[in-house]
Amino acid sequence: MSTTLNDISRSSQSEGQLPVLPPEAPRPRFAPGKTPIVPPGSVTGRSLTMVIVIMAFMACLTWGMVYMINKRAATWRMEMASEITALVGGNPTSKEIENQAEWNATVARQARQVEEFLNSQKGILKAELMSLKETAHFAEAWMGQISDVEKWPFPRLITIKIDQSSPPDFATLREALAANFPSATLDDHRVWQKQLRRVTGSLAFGGIVLILLVAAATVGIIGSAARSAMASNRDIVEVLNFVGADERFIARQFEMHFLKLGVKAGVVGALAAGSVFFFLPILADFMSNAATRTELHRLVGDVRLDWLGYSSLLLVVVAIAAICLITSRFGVRNILNMQNP
Amino acid sequence: MIRFENVGLRYGAGQEVLRDVSFHLLPGSFHFLAGASGAGKTTLLRLLFLSIKPSRGLAYMFGKNVTRASPSQRAELRSRIGIVFQDFRLLDHMTTWENVALPLRVHGKKQSEYAEDVTELLKWVGLGERMNAYPPVLSGGEKQRAAIARAVIGKPELLLADEPTGNVDPQMARRLLRLFIELNRLGTSVIIATHDYQLMNQIKTPQLLLEDGQLHVHNPK
Repeated sequence: MSTTLNDISRSSQSEGQLPVLPPEAPRPRFAPGKTPIVPPGSVTGRSLTMVIVIMAFMACLTWGMVYMINKRAATWRMEMASEITALVGGNPTSKEIENQAEWNATVARQARQVEEFLNSQKGILKAELMSLKETAHFAEAWMGQISDVEKWPFPRLITIKIDQSSPPDFATLREALAANFPSATLDDHRVWQKQLRRVTGSLAFGGIVLILLVAAATVGIIGSAARSAMASNRDIVEVLNFVGADERFIARQFEMHFLKLGVKAGVVGALAAGSVFFFLPILADFMSNAATRTELHRLVGDVRLDWLGYSSLLLVVVAIAAICLITSRFGVRNILNMQNP
Repeated sequence: MIRFENVGLRYGAGQEVLRDVSFHLLPGSFHFLAGASGAGKTTLLRLLFLSIKPSRGLAYMFGKNVTRASPSQRAELRSRIGIVFQDFRLLDHMTTWENVALPLRVHGKKQSEYAEDVTELLKWVGLGERMNAYPPVLSGGEKQRAAIARAVIGKPELLLADEPTGNVDPQMARRLLRLFIELNRLGTSVIIATHDYQLMNQIKTPQLLLEDGQLHVHNPK
């Protein structure tokens, strides 16, 4: 049918059977056709937006914490892997303890020999004997403050910096050390690393589970919201059906609102979580004294998110938006399939 | 174009609302559908509009067996049909202009392609001054005209109208009938369900009479 509706009206008017219209009826006052077919307010109300914002906030907070834990653990592991220790005189007999001054001198001599031996080995950048004072300071965490350290039978520690590009064979090094210096033992921190990996792995796993729970809750909420949006816009869906809209078109009218909701809620949630990560350390610093701050820093390091951590919160925004889009798409299409079997 | 053979329809386990309905409508035909209240006019229109499926019998529209059509095929078939409802079914949050343009918007046409057509049609049905008004502030007659404009804007192959002149004055009724006739002349098949015998008497055209769930064709002389 090539004739336009204008042609119909003109041909009908030319027959003189129809009332003559004013020559120029006013044009629409605003850009017509821009009104959303499904009103946004009927799909994504304020309370739904609030719930999704909270979900996004929780997901971002958990994600940031998992990121920080993993990053801190990686730093610890790297520090441990780049530095091992050798212990000299770790198991003194009671007889040796009785003659403590002589024992200390013997251990110090042996420790220097071990230091020299280690410095000559391949894959070791530097072996350095710790002073008695440093060793005592190191042991403070277990033994408390020690005065007159010379009067105690202290073993000696040697810190060994490893060339990580070509590390030594620890088994061979351990054997060589035991053969040449029976009182010396090598600690490559493997046990610590294993425990650390287990703890950080568990924390990360817990975080991921929490994020998955938030995602599952979001899917449930959006699914239910899609159903109620379809119910409250039943008239619009019917009209769209009548004017020949297919399921894809109808679903798109709803899912675009849910996508906008996901992006909006995700951004607000990410900004809120980002603010927590930014201001919480400042607040903690402000509320604690210098000694606590130093101890805390020694224990857990810097708890601020780096730029990569802040950027990774965008991934959560994308994930929340994708969940909103996909869940609403399937939800609406399911309902349409049930209505039009 | 439309072929019904022994079509029956019942809602749930109730008795048949339509029984052994058989007819064949050719492209470009013009029919009135008449019958007493409750005779099944709206139900037959709903069948023709693929809003419901027949309980039995064969129903072909545009050469397609509608009982076997998938939802997307039904949507495609519906896009070739225009319908005017008794209760208008205009979307209250959209202006009259946007309501009329809706079928074209749904089918992905650019606004620049149809803006002039929509405006001209609205002027022609006497709603030129009400283009920016929202349906809740329109009178019954204005709503009816907007609903008719929406049904014909897409130049459908088949136009179904349920009591299209029920809420307008006789002058406007004649004007709307004129529009239906013009559309029919351009090739659109038209079925108008009505009680208005005055309207039916204005043109000599076959009448589909529904009585007690059965359909009879009456050709006025």
